[in-house]
Amino acid sequence: MEVNGQLALTVLMGVFLIAVAAWLARVEDWRSYTPLAGGGTVGGTAEQYVSEEKPSGVIRWLTTVDHKDIGMLYGAYALVAFAVGGLMVVLMRIELADPSMTLISNTFYNSLLTSHGITMLFLFGTPIIAAFSNYFIPLLIGADDMAFPRINAIAFWLLPPAALLIWAGFFPIPDVIPAQTAWTMYTPLSAGVGSGNQMNAGVDLMLLGLHLSGVSATMGAINFIATIFTERNEKVSWANLDIFSWTILTQSGLILFAFPLLGSAIVMLLLDRNFGTMFFSVDGGAILWQHLFWFFGHPEVYILVLPPMGIVSLVLPRFAGRRLFGFKFVVYSTLAIGVLSFGVWAHHMFATGIDPRLRASFMAVSLAIAIPSAVKTFNWITTMWNGKIRLTTPMLFCIGFVSNFIIGGVTGVFLASIPVDLVLHDTYYVVGHFHYIVMGAIAFAGFAGLYYWFPIYTGRMYQVTLGKWHFWLSMVGTNLTFFAMILLGYGGMPRRYATYLPQFATLHQVATVGALILLVGQIIFVWNFVQSWLEGREVQDGDPWDLADDDLVTAEWTWFERKLETAVTDGGEDETELATDGGQTVDDADAESADDA
Amino acid sequence: MDEAPGLSDQYRTASPWPVFIALGIPISELGLLFGLFPLAVGGLLLFGGSVVGILKESGYVTSTIRAVTALAVIFLAFGAGLAFTDIALVTRGYAVIAAAILLAVGGIVFELFVREQRQTF
Ligand code: HEM
Ligand SMILES: [Cu+2]
Repeated sequence: MEVNGQLALTVLMGVFLIAVAAWLARVEDWRSYTPLAGGGTVGGTAEQYVSEEKPSGVIRWLTTVDHKDIGMLYGAYALVAFAVGGLMVVLMRIELADPSMTLISNTFYNSLLTSHGITMLFLFGTPIIAAFSNYFIPLLIGADDMAFPRINAIAFWLLPPAALLIWAGFFPIPDVIPAQTAWTMYTPLSAGVGSGNQMNAGVDLMLLGLHLSGVSATMGAINFIATIFTERNEKVSWANLDIFSWTILTQSGLILFAFPLLGSAIVMLLLDRNFGTMFFSVDGGAILWQHLFWFFGHPEVYILVLPPMGIVSLVLPRFAGRRLFGFKFVVYSTLAIGVLSFGVWAHHMFATGIDPRLRASFMAVSLAIAIPSAVKTFNWITTMWNGKIRLTTPMLFCIGFVSNFIIGGVTGVFLASIPVDLVLHDTYYVVGHFHYIVMGAIAFAGFAGLYYWFPIYTGRMYQVTLGKWHFWLSMVGTNLTFFAMILLGYGGMPRRYATYLPQFATLHQVATVGALILLVGQIIFVWNFVQSWLEGREVQDGDPWDLADDDLVTAEWTWFERKLETAVTDGGEDETELATDGGQTVDDADAESADDA
Repeated sequence: MDEAPGLSDQYRTASPWPVFIALGIPISELGLLFGLFPLAVGGLLLFGGSVVGILKESGYVTSTIRAVTALAVIFLAFGAGLAFTDIALVTRGYAVIAAAILLAVGGIVFELFVREQRQTF
């Protein structure tokens, strides 16, 4: 690099560090010793705000280590990523509305495809789960906070830089283009070999970002394991630990084994790309990458689905008026899935020509993992059977989850069978299969949680009619889009192409229409979410879902009830202020639908 | 979360360090990967300084000097490994070594002069 550039960088970096130091000097507690701070007596203001109350404004959010705040940050982050990933795929689906469409170039399509996958899995999926777990696990198990609150904050703050790096190729930076490796980053393409353009720094940046998000997930996992093991209230034993905590515990275990492996594989790939190592370019290197990637990749899909299953197992019984059927077996099946999920990875590699005996054993375990998944499904259905069903928005999303999970799971079982997979591998069938799960199930459970706990984290109620619109548009859109993809796969349509033969046009158009319906649904969601948060009807009752009627109250609602009470006695803080504006106006409009029954 | 639900508010609920640790990691990674000397040094300083800050704040270490020195020694070993072994990534190695030295010097200066001055008031 020429001297000028280095000099400029040095100056920039220096100025940045000085700014950081100056800012820290104002915020950190040694401020209380400084005569400059003008903060009054020693141990006065600074001491107070660090130990007793939160600082205000932006600083509060930048410096918070409170698990509830961090949960909110995760949630906001995940929803932004969901919007970005969603808009990317809308562009792709529009491109696919017609085989001759040239709205975007083929290379740009590939870039969007890559970023969509990585964004949805690592920047939306994992963080939205972390949003719920951070906010609610300490409440559910009666802990004061996470075991390591500061590590918790570090884990979150690694994510914004990760997103910037992953998306860096799309920013107008000279000579940097987005990665086009797909989310699986198969070598030799991702190693930059050949005449393509994947030697570009954009791929390195994406890999760094992915690595960072893995570090974040690992830190979070360690924290949850420590919290659930050591911070439980005396009254919370292993025997009565709630189902959501169980799934988070299992998920954290999976993360602990899977993500460091991904991190190492990424580092190896970066070394291959930049420092001349040959991990993946020697004989067998390409298959080595696939083994390493999928040894992480399959557990990753369960990392993403287990906690949503936990949310559904927690929420669905509340609106069925009964306890979760076969609670113990739901826990056992969670643990069984956790263990088995490390023994199935090569079902993603059936078509690579690996040893047929190996293939057969992976087929056997893959079929076996369907059993605990089915146990859960039957338990959800039996919980609802003869129950007192209340079709609230969160309940609708739970039922949608079960329905979509069945289709996603059954198509998965077919893929696990080698002869079937050899026909369907790398077709849209696979895309349909996993989207039934990632969109139809995981995102649905996320929405169920967002609606169910809306009163707790906003103090208000969402607008019921809009919630139902959101559900139905999502349900119809998901099934239209992804069922069309399953059919496309049967027809032999290969995945990851920006165009197709004319015979696939109709089904592709159906899929595009489905995606647009989904888009409309999510716009309604955003509107409902933001508007209700700002001016929804205030919740006065600590049990807005009337869970007490069926004796189904859980710890987080008890906490909420007490919070409402204490807020009233000491006059509340900022809550009362908010009450005066939006509070009344929407009140009557939504009063009778408030019960959402 | 026992009796009073607002309890966690009475714990220390703010710390300025996590953001900077989280920034220091990618900045130094970028610097080391692409061989951008200033980014590598600056990122490592940010990371190292914040790690010491957070350890001090949470009471895991009592002496700033010792924490800084320990970290500087680790950086030094890593940098020497990069620069003087068969790995032979010389510039990157020197960047890490430079960060180690700056960190140590900075820590000592802070402890001897800045901290003391503040406390005499
Ligand atoms: C019932 C259990 C399941 C079985 C037996 C199963 C089986 C399979 C198989 C065999 C494939 C490889 C298809 C191919 O590329 O030829 C596959 C792909 C995939 N599955 Fe599943 N699956 C199951 C559940 C899940 C779940 C719960 C998720 C997500 C949370 C999931 C996500 C995926 C993804 C993302 C892919 C595509 C990977 C890629 O090539 O990009 N699956 N599944
Ligand atoms: Cu799999």
